[in-house]
Amino acid sequence: MEENWEPKIVGFLCNWCCYAGADMAGTSRMQYPPNIRVIRVMCSSRINAEMIIKAFQSGADAVFIGGCHPGDCHYVDGNYRTKKRVDVLKRLIGYVGIDPKRLRLEWISAAEGEEFAETMRNFTEDVRKLGPSPLKALAEEMV
Amino acid sequence: MERVVRKKVKELLDSGKVIAVIGLKEELGKTTPFLFTRGDDYSKLKLSPHYPLATVAMKLHKADPEYKFAMLCRGCDERALIEMAKRNQINLDNIKLIGIACDENTAKDCNCKKPYPSCEDTIGDKLVDFVPEDLYEDFKNMSTEEKLEFWKKQFLKCNKCYGCRDICPMCFCKECELENGLWLRKGRLPPDYPVYHLIRAFHLAGKCIGCGECEKACPAGIPLMTLNRLIRDDMKDLFDFVSGMDLEEVNPLYTKEEF
Amino acid sequence: MDYKTVLTTCPYCGCGCKYYIEVIDGVAKSVVPCKEDPISEGKLCIKGWNAIDFVYSEDRLTTPLIKEGGKFRKASWDEALDHVANKFKELRKKYGRNSFGLLSSAKTTNEENYLMQKFARSVIVTNNVDHCARLCHASTVAGLAAAFGSGAMTNSTPEVEDADCILITGSNTTEQHPLIGSRIFRAKEKGAKIILVDPRAIQLSRFADLHLRQRPGTDVAWINGMINVIINEGLADEKFISERTENFEELKEMVKDYTPERVEEISGIPKEDLIEAARIYASSGSASIIYSMGITQHTTGVDNVKSCANLAMVTGNIGKPSTGVNPLRGQNNVQGACDLGALPNVFSGYQKVVDPASREKFEKAWHMTEKIPDNIGLTVVEMMNEAAAGNLKCIYIMGENPMMSDPDITHVKQGLENLEFLVVQDIFLTETAKLADVVLPGASFLEKDGTFTATDRRVQRVRKAIEPIGYAKPDWQIICELAKRMGSKEFDYPSPKEIQDEIAKLTPLYGGINYDRLDELGYLQWPCLDFGHPGTVYLHKEKCSRGLGHFFAVEYKPPAELPDGEYPFTMTTGRILFHFHTGTMTRRSEKLHNEVPTGYVEINPEDAEELGIRDGEKVSVSTRRGTIEVPAYVTKKVPLKTVFIPFHFKECAANVLTNPALDPVAKIPEFKVCACKIDAIGE
Repeated sequence: MEENWEPKIVGFLCNWCCYAGADMAGTSRMQYPPNIRVIRVMCSSRINAEMIIKAFQSGADAVFIGGCHPGDCHYVDGNYRTKKRVDVLKRLIGYVGIDPKRLRLEWISAAEGEEFAETMRNFTEDVRKLGPSPLKALAEEMV
Repeated sequence: MERVVRKKVKELLDSGKVIAVIGLKEELGKTTPFLFTRGDDYSKLKLSPHYPLATVAMKLHKADPEYKFAMLCRGCDERALIEMAKRNQINLDNIKLIGIACDENTAKDCNCKKPYPSCEDTIGDKLVDFVPEDLYEDFKNMSTEEKLEFWKKQFLKCNKCYGCRDICPMCFCKECELENGLWLRKGRLPPDYPVYHLIRAFHLAGKCIGCGECEKACPAGIPLMTLNRLIRDDMKDLFDFVSGMDLEEVNPLYTKEEF
Repeated sequence: MDYKTVLTTCPYCGCGCKYYIEVIDGVAKSVVPCKEDPISEGKLCIKGWNAIDFVYSEDRLTTPLIKEGGKFRKASWDEALDHVANKFKELRKKYGRNSFGLLSSAKTTNEENYLMQKFARSVIVTNNVDHCARLCHASTVAGLAAAFGSGAMTNSTPEVEDADCILITGSNTTEQHPLIGSRIFRAKEKGAKIILVDPRAIQLSRFADLHLRQRPGTDVAWINGMINVIINEGLADEKFISERTENFEELKEMVKDYTPERVEEISGIPKEDLIEAARIYASSGSASIIYSMGITQHTTGVDNVKSCANLAMVTGNIGKPSTGVNPLRGQNNVQGACDLGALPNVFSGYQKVVDPASREKFEKAWHMTEKIPDNIGLTVVEMMNEAAAGNLKCIYIMGENPMMSDPDITHVKQGLENLEFLVVQDIFLTETAKLADVVLPGASFLEKDGTFTATDRRVQRVRKAIEPIGYAKPDWQIICELAKRMGSKEFDYPSPKEIQDEIAKLTPLYGGINYDRLDELGYLQWPCLDFGHPGTVYLHKEKCSRGLGHFFAVEYKPPAELPDGEYPFTMTTGRILFHFHTGTMTRRSEKLHNEVPTGYVEINPEDAEELGIRDGEKVSVSTRRGTIEVPAYVTKKVPLKTVFIPFHFKECAANVLTNPALDPVAKIPEFKVCACKIDAIGE
């Protein structure tokens, strides 16, 4: 385990709301930690369970999914599906020893740049407290 | 109870009411799935050990969707048939169900919450008040670290036989995500941890009917039902959904409704 | 709609799982596990689940083929069989009966193996009959026969789960014998101690209480070392040694030299680990040794096996449940092929060819006018050598693929091409079949009746589920037809059932085996002496088959070819779970091919970095025999300066590289150790 471990968070941000919000945070020079690796998707419901699982297997310490507020989804109901999916997945990863707190789903709109930055600050700290993902060491061992 | 069932099957076949019955037969000292037709030796019909007969029904309908037959149907078989019918894998109109209620020992063995089918003329007493033991109490009380250690010991035994998938009545996708090299590297043993088993468990959410065949088919002895049963309970807890009960109910994970 | 299930035995490994084949309207559709089968118990490995795939491959041979002008043309059975029979008669007259070699098959049924050796001995009249057991467990057959009197697995698969200690060496059990691997896991759940001795960190190593990583080819040393510790710490079973064995003093004297320090020098196993392993093995109530190719495929293969026998005898772990020396046979019927005499030195039931009484017995039973030769015939690798030298003129191969499975393939090709006449009988046009003058299409396990014998001496039925594909014929029928056309009247059988009846009459070990009993009981484990005998679960109960167990004092000898300046890596070869042997069946199965589409070379990350090799990159691996190009798989599984290559893939065939150096007694090649070098191709 490295001395200077920094949480590595994989972030799936939906194009219409959350990604735009993150963009706003960036252009407004709002400070938030660089621990999130952003992947832009057209809708949060594009993220299937396999992708989240693969993120954890590859060594991500946490996974963040950002979508539109309920009722605001660009594709009408995508975010409802995302929520249900993540609810089940949180339970599932909890059962296999991955702390469910490592998986977070938030609704952030295009106007909520500050909320995005705040969420990132908080989430990074939470993950820092949780420590490195137990799967990272295991993946390295299994080379 | 076997005698009663044999009598029923004999009556159905000899009278010509049905042309074939999917059941289990004793052959060469062992029990095998069998398609009884008129004139067969009904005295060889057996009720255990349980085989997923719904899968046989599905294969027959894949060969000929218009084929009409009857089948011995336990609680789990019925749940499987309902879920299959929802997904157009079988034509329930062409299947006559011969309901078989499980006795207490069988229900305990499978730790089943509903060891009887809902059909009217079911042979045997329906154990409506049967409450299975909570086998997973200890597991649920483990800490996150303990749970990880528990599954490490188990999943790392896996030799990717796909037996859990191949025996599962609900697994019939032509292209299976478990074989997709994007999620887990092919040909690696044990499979990339914990991808195989998590994908399987997640895909079964709202689909698993709790028959337990997967755990029985695992050569490495991995307690698969622990995960599947817990997720099945979670589906009820989160969405008030139990698979295999009602033809009209759709798995909430497939619908657009908010919860 | 016609739906039926047929209970048959798996055609892949030696575990001997039985399962149902679901046949709908005459087409085999899927595999359904059999919950009541004693070996599989309703569980299967990925090969078993997909056992039907290869049967319906479009590559199946469906008609006989005759080579004309360098190309194959289709022929009728009459034409092909007449041609072969006439050619056999002609060559036999011209060059004599010993110019013939016959290769039987560890994949075909017992009945077919029996007929092949009967054909060799009564029609061609030669003992030059062998099969691929030569390449895998010839050391076992020789070594255990010498030590105990019987060259087979001493105990049974189900017993493994009740052992208190399991010592696994040279066996990647969870990959190669998954249903025996299951038993090891169960034993561990029950509290058994698992000791693994293997250079590679295989899947099982995570579950071993002790993992000793020895240098390849140093097995005699570490086993002698364990015996040294056991004797010095007073853990030897004195009672067993004095009552049931002989020649202990010689062994005791010799192992004095194998101190843990010396063993550490030779094998690289830390002395503390060796001592602990010895203590655990010797103080367990019932301890079982499980071994496979890592012990047998060496120039010291027989010595390695004898050492395992020594270890078991020193601790009294013979003749009791859940103990013993347990060689895991690879093929579905390699045990049967050996049992039924497809070997150059024995008839069926290991009755020796050099014994005049045995020869007379078979000459009489087969109504022979000629005498069966009294010399031991040629083995597989020797046949290839003799063919290359021009002494062997004709080889008849059934269900074997020496062009992929023999060591030093380039040399094998020279040999086969030098023959005047090569006949290959198989289900696919293999690399070997491509070189043949006549190809005869055989039938797969789904298309015929017969029996297979699993690794724990378990004889089980193979049942016909579908009609043969195209014009393919069951191998037993082809051999009978050939024999008839060569003038023999002894090959007239209505079905395999009658062949088994003849086997039972002539083979004491199989004396009580017939199809009715197999239908009733499901299986019979030999020795099964008469029709009332229930079969034998474990061997050597009150005494060994030869009476007293014999200790052999064997000294450590290094492998034939060790790394040096020019070839600095140790190369070892073996199998993987997803494919089987020469890949003819598994590479035609969609799901198996999907998992592992091509071969690879396992190389340690440190070595890879030094050579500038990245994971997945193609590299060139060379030995004194040849060179192949193969993708690299960078992994910590292999120790430093050691590489592993699976031998299933013809485009990067490991056997182009392997050393044909043989064990002097068993004539088994040293597949497990040779020297190689790795070069990045730099694309």
